Amino acid sequence: MYRPDLFIRRLTTAPHHIRHLAGVLLALTLLVAASAQARTLHFTADAESSQPLTIYGVVDPPQVYPLLADFHRRNPDIAITYHNLETLALHARVLQERDAPRADVIMSPAMPWQYQLANEGLSTPVDSPAAEAWPSWARWRQELFGFTFEPIVMVYRRDLATRMPPPESHAELLSLLRQRSAELSHRVVTYDPRFSGAGYTYAIEDARISARYWDLVEALGQAHSELETTTAAMLEGLSEGRYWIGYNLIGSYVQDYVAEHPELAMVVPKDYALVLQRLVMMSRNAPHPVAAQRFIDYLLSAPAQRLLATQTTLGAVHPAIDGLGTAADLRKRLGEAIRPVQIGPGLLATLDTLKRQTLLEQWQQAFKNHSTHADGPLADPSPLPRAPQK
Amino acid sequence: MTPLRRWRLSHLSLYRRLMVWLLCPLALLVAVMLLQAWLASREAADRAFDRLLDAASLSIAEQVRWQQSRLWMDLPPSALEMLATDAEERVFYALYDAHGHFVTGNRSLPTLPAENGSQMSYGDVTSRGMPLRLGVLRARLEGWDRSDRFEVRVAQTREGRQALANQLFLASLVNIVIIAGLAVVVVLLSARFALEPLTRLRRAIRQRNPRTLAPLELPLPRELAELRQTLNELLARMRRVRANQERFIGDASHQLKTPLAGLSTRAELALRQSDPATWREALATMHGTATKTARLAGQLLSLTRLNNPEATPAKQAVDLTALARRCVREAFSRHHRRGVDLGVEAPEHAVMASANDWQLEEALNNLIENASLYGASQVTVQVTDTPPRLAVIDDGPGIPESQRLLMLRPFHRGQETGDGSGLGLAIVDSIARAHDIRLSLQAVHPDHPERPGLCIALTFSSDA
Repeated sequence: MYRPDLFIRRLTTAPHHIRHLAGVLLALTLLVAASAQARTLHFTADAESSQPLTIYGVVDPPQVYPLLADFHRRNPDIAITYHNLETLALHARVLQERDAPRADVIMSPAMPWQYQLANEGLSTPVDSPAAEAWPSWARWRQELFGFTFEPIVMVYRRDLATRMPPPESHAELLSLLRQRSAELSHRVVTYDPRFSGAGYTYAIEDARISARYWDLVEALGQAHSELETTTAAMLEGLSEGRYWIGYNLIGSYVQDYVAEHPELAMVVPKDYALVLQRLVMMSRNAPHPVAAQRFIDYLLSAPAQRLLATQTTLGAVHPAIDGLGTAADLRKRLGEAIRPVQIGPGLLATLDTLKRQTLLEQWQQAFKNHSTHADGPLADPSPLPRAPQK
Repeated sequence: MTPLRRWRLSHLSLYRRLMVWLLCPLALLVAVMLLQAWLASREAADRAFDRLLDAASLSIAEQVRWQQSRLWMDLPPSALEMLATDAEERVFYALYDAHGHFVTGNRSLPTLPAENGSQMSYGDVTSRGMPLRLGVLRARLEGWDRSDRFEVRVAQTREGRQALANQLFLASLVNIVIIAGLAVVVVLLSARFALEPLTRLRRAIRQRNPRTLAPLELPLPRELAELRQTLNELLARMRRVRANQERFIGDASHQLKTPLAGLSTRAELALRQSDPATWREALATMHGTATKTARLAGQLLSLTRLNNPEATPAKQAVDLTALARRCVREAFSRHHRRGVDLGVEAPEHAVMASANDWQLEEALNNLIENASLYGASQVTVQVTDTPPRLAVIDDGPGIPESQRLLMLRPFHRGQETGDGSGLGLAIVDSIARAHDIRLSLQAVHPDHPERPGLCIALTFSSDA
């Protein structure tokens, strides 16, 4: 199965990482080769006056197929070509074609990168009632629309419950790690933010939401947690029994996997749950703007959103759609704990090179238990003297 | 030419003229106010939004430090979010070191010239075809060991400013339009009120009986009161003219009635006789009276013609010498029979003057006739040059100085004897007035009380 989060990466070029890097690149090459046959989907137009529509996307073909098929059924005059790309390749390709874009529509879950493209002015406004009515928290201007709703979740093995209460929130995970650190040694797995773009994005969002994130990183480090670069690898390890608890996995993949692997259970953290959204935009100077607008209108329409909620694990955003797999449902269950990653210029900070280095350094120090620096390298090295205790 | 003339201001009604002079400056004023409001709202919007650039760049600058032997920055996402505002602006930032090298950022941004006494400078730039508002903060590291200078450059798109500027401008626009509307209403009303007395005056004039020349009596503002006064003066003059005309007509009919009554009486007396000799005598008398009456009627006719103000004489160059000779030649035999010595005294060359030929001849004939009628035995027509002058000199009883002006009035006779009609000098005077010729009367021999004689001169202006 093709996993786009695999490829979200910006590598630091420190020499001691090179070995690790080589391994990752090898895995990457193999996966790309394996999924090569599924890289493009094509739907020919039935009508005489056909117009083409080119989509660059980072959505798995099995997930995107029902959407495209339904759109094609409703708009038989549009010939769709869907190119499934890897996030950074998509980003690079869009930048490369900035003056003469080939894609009409671009969809990607790599929110900072997608936002950067829109901020650069490579997107164009979609003027339609559906776009205007789209909830403001899930769009930026009339240009960038979050059309899916994918929480970041924790996964645990069901047999864990026999040993200890499974964590239901970040706080519970932290206390569990602190109390049972010896027992959980090498049994917890999470993203390596140094090698995974997705992991880095979640780390930066986690750190923004709570300062206690650094305690959690420290606890993860003390429990010798394992680090992976993809959700797939984590799920595999969990299924094989190597790991007991997985932290920060992409919900849409987990949901599929857990359905096939009953030994695993998915938890949407109760205290706060990051929510990832796939962002869709129409290219500036899109070669086929009418078809592009129709497609985006379709994505934001109730039928497409209902389809997303029922036939895929991507989740629906449309406020009128209720039921399992929708934003409305998650909000009803978790209320304020739902934290969709804000579509705004804050995402640009995520991409700042120095910011990235700063955060990763801080993360690494916390993980390696340089506990005095738990609050980050900027923390005051000489804390204020405490008031004498009675 | 025709449409131009139609639009000339002098053809416009007073009301339109007022409108043009009041509304054009008002429109200009409104235009200036709108322009000013537009600039002010732009500036206000820029000022408001520049604060955000200021705050964002300060909050970024606070995070700049020296680390790993280079400029380092932990970009605060809130700084960028601050810039995005409600208008969801596109946001750009960049950090540059003291040498102007790009350290980090999401787009390379140009620098701006430093403003005096300010760390921050703002400017409008276009970056990759995108109009941006750029703020550049110049700062230096605060530390013990390093105090490197650096620049934080932040930029945002202009939509929010534009929206705010439009909003502010719209508010001013509404105000200005309301004020302008009120001003227009006030101008229209005040022009109507100001012109109302004029309308009253017009109505008053229109409603008058066309026969009446009585003065206008109605209260008017000062400017129109002057007009009313002028109008009343004109009316007064017309009244005088009419009185003169009535008197003239009365005199004329009286003058004509007397000889006609004489004729009738004479004919009646003669008819009672049966002696042809008496008839003959009566016929001779009647002939004389009829001739005199015919002459009188002729003079009345020419006087009426001359007094018609609408008939301006067509002037041409007239040779005074030739004119004098011709008149004397025509009148000579008649005068000779009466025993009057008529002569010409003129230079050999032509003396030219601008005048109407037949009117001048009429005047000269009248003068000659007058002189002989009032008892002169010697009449000389004299023409002199520089200035051109035509004079009739006689040796008659003359006119006393006190009587001379009265003599110019119709039907005024210096003496009751003689056969004159009393119109001769009046005709000459009218011709002189019409030609702008100076008419002068003076005695020829003032030291001779019995027969001082009279010299009547017509002096043309020399430039004519």
